[in-house]
Amino acid sequence: MSDAAIGPDILDLLHESVISWDRAGRILSWNAASEELYGWPAEAALGRVAGTLLQTSHDRLLVEPDDELWRAERWEGELKRRTASGEERIVDVRWTTERDEAGKAWRTIETARDVTDRAAAEEALRLSEYRYRNMFEAMAVGFVEMDFTAVGAMLIPLREKGVTDLTAWLRARPGFVRKTMARAIVVDVNEKALQLFGGSTKSDMVGGGSGRYWPPTSEPVYIEALAATMEKKPHLVCETRMRRLDGSEFDTLFTVSWSAESRKRGVVLLAYVDVSERKQAEAALQQLRAEFAHAARISMLGELTASIAHELNQPLAAIATRGEASLRWLAADEPQLDEVRTLAAEIVADVRRAASIIDRVRSMAEPRPPQWAPLDLNVIVEEVLAFLRHELQAQSVSIERDLAEPLPLVLGDRTQLQQVIVNLAVNAVQAMSEAEAERRILRVGTRRTDNGSAMLVVEDEGPGLPGDASRLFDGFFSTKASGMGMGLPICRSILDAHGGDIEAGNRNSGVGARFTVTLPPAPDLIPRS
Amino acid sequence: MPSENPISVVEDDESLRSALVGLIRSSGYTARGFASAEEYLAVQDGLCRCVITDIQMPGLSGIEMIARLRGMGYPVPVIMVTARTEPAIEAQAIAAGALCVLRKPFEAEALLDRLRGALGESAGSP
Repeated sequence: MSDAAIGPDILDLLHESVISWDRAGRILSWNAASEELYGWPAEAALGRVAGTLLQTSHDRLLVEPDDELWRAERWEGELKRRTASGEERIVDVRWTTERDEAGKAWRTIETARDVTDRAAAEEALRLSEYRYRNMFEAMAVGFVEMDFTAVGAMLIPLREKGVTDLTAWLRARPGFVRKTMARAIVVDVNEKALQLFGGSTKSDMVGGGSGRYWPPTSEPVYIEALAATMEKKPHLVCETRMRRLDGSEFDTLFTVSWSAESRKRGVVLLAYVDVSERKQAEAALQQLRAEFAHAARISMLGELTASIAHELNQPLAAIATRGEASLRWLAADEPQLDEVRTLAAEIVADVRRAASIIDRVRSMAEPRPPQWAPLDLNVIVEEVLAFLRHELQAQSVSIERDLAEPLPLVLGDRTQLQQVIVNLAVNAVQAMSEAEAERRILRVGTRRTDNGSAMLVVEDEGPGLPGDASRLFDGFFSTKASGMGMGLPICRSILDAHGGDIEAGNRNSGVGARFTVTLPPAPDLIPRS
Repeated sequence: MPSENPISVVEDDESLRSALVGLIRSSGYTARGFASAEEYLAVQDGLCRCVITDIQMPGLSGIEMIARLRGMGYPVPVIMVTARTEPAIEAQAIAAGALCVLRKPFEAEALLDRLRGALGESAGSP
């Protein structure tokens, strides 16, 4: 049966373009789909040389496909062609050679599909992949590509089991967390990452799990990153500490990100920016602040010497008195051992009281690095008022308290915050030294601000502050006759380190100064099971 | 022979107050403690034989207390004890009517001597 029997009608039903040409390239047949694809009606195409009409070109042309074809009988590939209106089309073609009875090739039949859009998408992807690869390899940021599919398989079922707070669930299961680290596989790293982690070739890191890079102290950050990835919260950024291949640790800015594309493959991108130097500078500054604050505390204790001595004298006097009384009881005609026993116990209690006074002084005086803990400002206020009890009495200053309950806890160093309040109170007392006794009122108040911070206010009835109160926080500016005037600048420095603020002004009533300290609330504590 | 009328100890520091009361009792006297000048003034009935008081206390000071006592017509002898070291304080206390001022920490013997002196007893008696 000749193909004339199948006939042009069938060919016209096909979606694919079917054309044929002779050895000279002249078009012998042209179906309806070809008309649609190329815009040439059959009458215009028949007899024309196909390659010329369609302006065929082939990107990867090494030999004319015809040569290959006449040798090989078949050819498949993609060609670029132009339609009648000049538009470029990419077509996926298949050519077949037909031979006559003598075996001589006489006709080529082509079937073709328009794959222009698909080709454009592939090209865009290739370009994008090329750009990504360039950036990945060349950037001064350490990149690590991780395959998270196995980890995803561990975590996805949890949601179905009803786990709603993934972060809390993971925090309670450190063993499970370590397993996910082992299953998160490094797929690729760039030069910078190798440098950061102390590897020499990619194979030092690629193919391995990630557990070795996360010291236990950084597990909370890892858990956050896991949860963010699972909950599709992109672009998590935070500081953390990572471990190098040799076990040493470094501080880094860390971020997890992904594209929709990479996510489908289960791949996420971790980026690391070395911040060791910055951390060192921060640590040095912190150290300097602590030393400064310590110097200020020593100086302040010097000013309070008389009152501290007075406070110590009470238990000492009590001890001496009880000792004498004991001797008397023992010297009596009938020694009163029960009385002596009681007195001895009371002496021990007095000694303990003296020791705690000395402890309080010592903790103010010794240099110590800041120790951060959640603190109740009201408690610290009371501690300071107890510490200054004798000084206040000696100066005949009375106290008015207005302490709000409950007060948001703040995160801070107890000694440093005590130092600030002592400083403000002592300043207030000194400001009122000229006033009459009845007018010497020290007011201390605390409250919660609208945005949840803790606020402390210290007011006096002294002469108030000069117009430009901001100078008070500069160093070496003082309206007092003695002292270096470093107290308030150091208070500001301490507040800065605590993320808080201190302001100076005059009271609304016009008499006396008012100092306001604000501190941010302590972050919610995470219960550990 | 313990007298009916007590020695009054006015001292806001609880431990020192109880120590003083104990010391005076160990010497054979009756003693009562008061935490503040106000507390003492509220109950004082003119029968107290001697007052031993701190100078620096919250509320009325010891010196103010003597002034009140004298104002009320009570001549009771007052011995002052203090941790304050300024010389002016002693002068002030004496001027107000105190018998003497002892510095803390004081020798118990010295206090008892002054006490006996205030009570009109000879030194060295129990």
